[in-house]
Amino acid sequence: MKSGLVTALRYGDAMRIFISGGCKNGKSYYAQQLAKAQATDSLYYVATMQSADSEDDERIERHRQERDGWGFATVEQPCDIENILHECDSGGSFLLDSLTALLSNEMFPADGDMNEHAAEKITRGLNRVLDEVENIVIVSDYIYSDAMIYDALTEQYRRSLANLDREAAKRCDVVLEVAYTSLIVHKGKEVFGGVDEKIL
Amino acid sequence: MILIFGGAYQGKLDYALARFGLTEKDVFRCDDENADMPENKKIIYEIDKWILALVKTEIEPTDAVKQFIAQNKDAVVICNDISSGVVPIEPLCRQWRETVGRILARLSGESDEVVRLFCGIPTRLK
Repeated sequence: MKSGLVTALRYGDAMRIFISGGCKNGKSYYAQQLAKAQATDSLYYVATMQSADSEDDERIERHRQERDGWGFATVEQPCDIENILHECDSGGSFLLDSLTALLSNEMFPADGDMNEHAAEKITRGLNRVLDEVENIVIVSDYIYSDAMIYDALTEQYRRSLANLDREAAKRCDVVLEVAYTSLIVHKGKEVFGGVDEKIL
Repeated sequence: MILIFGGAYQGKLDYALARFGLTEKDVFRCDDENADMPENKKIIYEIDKWILALVKTEIEPTDAVKQFIAQNKDAVVICNDISSGVVPIEPLCRQWRETVGRILARLSGESDEVVRLFCGIPTRLK
């Protein structure tokens, strides 16, 4: 599988890749493969999760162990995503995992009122990042196809994340959906050749 | 009939308006409190809400759907895909989810074209 993705990436130049899909279906693993494969120099993992409890601590630790040996330098950036530009070489390769966590952090700050304009704020920050960074894989979560009737707040979070996703997808060269370890290429087939099929 | 579906907020209506050069006045917005037959406009938006209204009133939808198809041969029908979450605990939501699934399969068969939206990007499935 690894060789398939690496070969696919060699077809094109630097790429901004957006990847989404349902939970626990292999998104993060693909995203790590892709970020690693397009790295020529520094490789950054932009960590966005803010730990709220011991369950989060365990999840963060599990992700950290999974990344062990991949060569990522971890940058903690749960808010103000544009600040990664101060800390990192913008010529490096980035893995941003995930928009979902960024939005939670910005929309529901631990010590303040809800920010209704969090999605717009992140979009602005992300656009600044995308102006400078050419090698990046951005992960989000597809939470839009269930049969629940949500409260207004949850609905606003879903709408905000979808808007953020759509803005990111517009700016990215490649848009991928992971469907239980299969990849669907929604955008950028011409640059992301060769893996438009089941590769696991 | 053209069927456009996709998850919530994926850009289904924006896509339909742009593609067919239509405006808000061409759109009938369904309401989950109104089980009456949707008004015959160029775009019937969020048919899943009309289906929820039918489920709430316990009207068996087969006849209503037949009539809907007959009346909307030239319409663009937009539906939220609600098929991919955990099975809801609430019986109403469970019934809604299954009814939308069955009706969408029916409408998909009747449609000349079926499009799915993902992050604002259309994919033609039929």
